[in-house]
Amino acid sequence: MDEVRALRAGARDRTRASTYVMLALLGALFVWSYQGSEIDLGLLFSADGGGAIADYVKRLFPPDFSPKVVAEAVVGAWETLAISLVGTVLSAVIALSLAFFGARNLVYSGLLYEMEPRRRFGLLRRVPYLAAKAVLNFLRTIPEMLWALIFVFLVGLGPFPGVLALGVHTGGVLGKLFAEVLEDVDLQPIESLQSTGAGKVQILFYGILPQVLPQFISYTLYRWEVNIRVAAVLGFVGAGGLGQRIHIALSLFLEQQLLTLLIALYILVTAVDYLSAYLRRRAV
Amino acid sequence: MTAPHQYRLESVRKEFGRQQVALEGFDLTVAQGERVALIGPSGAGKTTLFRMLNCTIRPTSGRLRIDGEEVRELYGRRLREMRRRIGTIYQQHNLVPRLRVVHNVLSGRLGRWSLLGSLASLVRPSHLEAVHQALADVGIAEKLFSRTDELSGGQQQRVAIARVLMQDPEVILADEPVSSVDPSLAESIIRLLITISDQTRKTLMVNLHSTDLALSYFSRVVGMKQGVKLFDTAAAQVTPELLRELYSGHVPVNGAAGRVREAEQEVGEPAHWGAA
Repeated sequence: MDEVRALRAGARDRTRASTYVMLALLGALFVWSYQGSEIDLGLLFSADGGGAIADYVKRLFPPDFSPKVVAEAVVGAWETLAISLVGTVLSAVIALSLAFFGARNLVYSGLLYEMEPRRRFGLLRRVPYLAAKAVLNFLRTIPEMLWALIFVFLVGLGPFPGVLALGVHTGGVLGKLFAEVLEDVDLQPIESLQSTGAGKVQILFYGILPQVLPQFISYTLYRWEVNIRVAAVLGFVGAGGLGQRIHIALSLFLEQQLLTLLIALYILVTAVDYLSAYLRRRAV
Repeated sequence: MTAPHQYRLESVRKEFGRQQVALEGFDLTVAQGERVALIGPSGAGKTTLFRMLNCTIRPTSGRLRIDGEEVRELYGRRLREMRRRIGTIYQQHNLVPRLRVVHNVLSGRLGRWSLLGSLASLVRPSHLEAVHQALADVGIAEKLFSRTDELSGGQQQRVAIARVLMQDPEVILADEPVSSVDPSLAESIIRLLITISDQTRKTLMVNLHSTDLALSYFSRVVGMKQGVKLFDTAAAQVTPELLRELYSGHVPVNGAAGRVREAEQEVGEPAHWGAA
């Protein structure tokens, strides 16, 4: 009994020490960040600030439902939907063309390479893997917004640079996720396919794709949900869609038109969320 | 000169990592058309041995020859060709669950199928007559277009056997083919394997967890323990003492009659072999 008590006390001491250190460090980090962000709650909640917010909200109403503005909102929503959809398809294509090289178990190690003579081509085998990983990392680390600025500069204003920005960044994200799914594939069916004398491409189509495709589809649909919101923001840098119109309405103080556009965005995002969730349930 | 042996292993050793020795000093010769049962406790190295016999892994040292060919020297096309000649039935989970039964059976043909032909078949299944016949041979012809993950464990094991029929190999390796199916089905699956090897003169090697199936259906029995061959003899020569030594006292058996015997042998002790 005494020994149990002593062990428990010792364990508690150790937990406490390390936990307190971690908590203190996190607290310090928060205080430092808080100061760094120049937060001034007074500005937000002062009578002045509150009045300004109430004033602005008042000016948003009533939303402008004149045919011309509604038509603008519908065209903008359609453009944003198109950007997100085409951008996501482009990203899936980019991800699919790189992910297989970014999966270690398909490129140079593990079950499929168990019987290869050692040192045959050696490190050279890893080159495609490392290259694919590097490209995926590069695409992913540059945010969509930055890609959009680059593409606006390259191909001009409009939806097209938005599509490219979404496709390239999301391609990096999905490529990484797909590669991870591929590395997690269940090996037993693959071992048995290999033992029938199947080649690597045959194993890919008969054993690996049937396992991973539902997850690929699910991830892609989820990223579409994210991209519909991103597509709206991309308009701020000139990449078309609802965002571009919202940006204009904000800059020109057209508050009632702004509310109409925000309503359109809300409906669009909600609709895509529901559609994507429904399709994902069907896919799995 | 006589025909080369189906299998000829000389002091084969397999280690995983530095410490773990799965198989050591293993000698074995198996003649064409022979039927051999391997028995032994879990961790004896039976599965490791089979994975070497079907060219999935390489021996760390020693010689492994199949039909006179040194496996160490095989890779690429010649390795695939060798694998095609050896059909394996695994314990479980060796089918692709999301594919239809027809594609799982057809995957037995992959070793001698053109890439384009095999991919086209995923869209529009080919060789349907042959697949139907193979499924009829194992007694589940009506499951041709079912999704594989909708079948029971015993039915999936039959699909795996139908795939081997489609592969039409020279050797059939069955790695604990009945340990995940109902005991009443176990016997019928073993009988099915023996019928197949009989009719087509294929070499048959079966890993079995239970001794009674091995002793009643196979004339040659190999006992393995901790990576070493303990005995290799005619079934009639396998004595209860030998089995006790193999299993350190707890002899696992299969089926209803077996369970009674097990209970008699191990009074007061849990029958933990079935759970492994």
